Amino acid sequence: MQLFLEQLVNGIALGSLYGLFGIGFGLVFATLGILNTAHGAYASWAAIIGYFAVVWYDVSFPVAIAVGVIGGGVLAILVDQIGFQPLRNRKTGMLGALITSIAFLIILDSLAGMATNHQSWAFPSRTYPRGMLDLGFMRIPYMQLIIIGAMVFCAAGIYLLIQKTRIGAAMRAVGWNAEAASLGGVNARMVILLTAFLAGATSGLAGVLGGAATSNISYMLGEGLLLKGFAAVVVGGYDDVRGTVLAGILLGICEVFIAQYLSTTFRDGFTYILLLTFLVMRPRGIFGSGNFMRA
Amino acid sequence: MIMKTGTMRLGAALAAAAFSLAGSAWADPAPGQYNIGIISDDTGPLAAAGISYHRGADLAIEEINANGFAGEGVTLNLLVKDSATDAARAVQAMTQFAADRTVLATTCCIITPIAGALSPIAMNNNLPLVIYGATREGLPQEPYVTSVVALPGPQEVMMSERLASELKPKRVAYYTTGDNDIFLARAHAVKAVFEEAGAETVAEISTLANDTDFTGPATQGMGTNPDVIMVMTTQQPAVGIISALRQRGYEGLIGTSEVISPPAIYQKSGDLIEGIPFALSFQPGLSDSPEATTFIEAYQAKYNELPDVYSAQGYTAIHYIAQGMKAIDGEPTREKLAEEMWKITSIDHNLYGGQEIVNGQAQIPETLIVNWNSDGEVALWENQ
Repeated sequence: MQLFLEQLVNGIALGSLYGLFGIGFGLVFATLGILNTAHGAYASWAAIIGYFAVVWYDVSFPVAIAVGVIGGGVLAILVDQIGFQPLRNRKTGMLGALITSIAFLIILDSLAGMATNHQSWAFPSRTYPRGMLDLGFMRIPYMQLIIIGAMVFCAAGIYLLIQKTRIGAAMRAVGWNAEAASLGGVNARMVILLTAFLAGATSGLAGVLGGAATSNISYMLGEGLLLKGFAAVVVGGYDDVRGTVLAGILLGICEVFIAQYLSTTFRDGFTYILLLTFLVMRPRGIFGSGNFMRA
Repeated sequence: MIMKTGTMRLGAALAAAAFSLAGSAWADPAPGQYNIGIISDDTGPLAAAGISYHRGADLAIEEINANGFAGEGVTLNLLVKDSATDAARAVQAMTQFAADRTVLATTCCIITPIAGALSPIAMNNNLPLVIYGATREGLPQEPYVTSVVALPGPQEVMMSERLASELKPKRVAYYTTGDNDIFLARAHAVKAVFEEAGAETVAEISTLANDTDFTGPATQGMGTNPDVIMVMTTQQPAVGIISALRQRGYEGLIGTSEVISPPAIYQKSGDLIEGIPFALSFQPGLSDSPEATTFIEAYQAKYNELPDVYSAQGYTAIHYIAQGMKAIDGEPTREKLAEEMWKITSIDHNLYGGQEIVNGQAQIPETLIVNWNSDGEVALWENQ
């Protein structure tokens, strides 16, 4: 039973990373209509920035998280304004944005590889919480608690922001029709910048926390999250934070239990099958609205 | 007169014999600069090791050119193409080297699939290929494909025999890389040793080479309550698994392979990998042959860090080529170089205190069973 519970927590923590990463991914798609494959690079860069903040400036782990999150957000804004805004002005649609995002993924990954000398780094062990919470019947690493807590905080915050605030209403309006929203008095440019920042920041948070928990900070960190985050968004629904979080956690739990009770060989296969099933059977996901395709 | 003629004939015969002997003893390649191609792994998932191989090769080139190790007036020039451990890029690079007739030999490959993909190109183009990292039996092919890295299994078997003998574990768990058949075979060789010694296999946990989260596998392994855990995976999973096991509080003995030997790995993992035994054949501080000492000093001076087992292999590959070059008489060609390299039974300039080659395959040199200690140094492993 202890093994089952510990693996359950492992799965929830892993799934929380997928969910956290997927929130931003879905946010950009729902609001800006971009399937942004460069989203993975934000996670890698945030982890790298956080790592350098710790190593060079000896900052505490919370500060490293903050630096990484802000770094991820700023990077997302830069990519949006340099890469996507010109396409938006020319109304090139989803395909042009997808191709541009792939180009940015390659560029940012290559730069990240150069920044890390193509090696995998880890936060020095003294700089992040390495202990375990002993509940008697099981023990939980502090980093897993932090990851789960961060995911709950971000998911709740962004859900409330989108559903209960004027800014959220503006984001939904821009997502539905940017021109109509502008005519209605919404500052679409500000909404776009805010959305890009939030997406980059949540991806960055997943990157820094994931990098610390797995002792793996590298230019490939984001690639590992990209497919799983995408799957969480597809399964959960592009335009609903709750769905993304739920699907991310489900994915994490399934991965861990499949590896534990079946075989690692089937683990990624399960993700692909789940992804394919939803794309064919229910493309709008568990919570998603019918508004699946927009350009 | 007859005697005089006979004496003259004898003298002429002796002179001819002397010249003939001198000719072979003084066989020298034609002076000049010759290109060697390296298909490196400077970027990509194995860049940490790939950079080490490349640096070792660079250092060997400098040493060979400065000391005339490839022959009087002969210098070698290293042409670099980075494969990023991508098979398609490596094949493209090899094809380009094959088309460039100034390239006399090539060296490459950390992983076996890439070495296997390049071998036919080397054979078809009569282009010598020296493998410096990939380890699978049967890779060398006469006379063009050779390997300067010994097959690793026996070293880990020796280490496992010692661990089984000294620790007498009852329960052993194994971590493997399910999508890497070489590491899988290494794990099974280790497992056979412990089972032979009477230890029960309580778990064989498969991971994948690109995995990054090991909390689940760590929980799974610790759940079987093993006395010893053997982590026989590729580098990134090995570091991740060991870190996850230690962070979750596993205090038993963990054994692994040379994948944790690079200083960059200790710099990354620190105390989490201290005390974990692994087997290798070269280590600064423990390898003390004159060649090793010179190499370590030169490497430190050039790169401001200690060399590792991978840089030693890159260095050995180039010296192997240089030894083949030196044995050539006249204008070097790919064919002549391949023939001379295939004849080599011992690499003269090596860092292991002796390196035999049999049918183009390096044999096991001296085996060191070591661990990282609390001073951040690799020291001989002792059972605490």
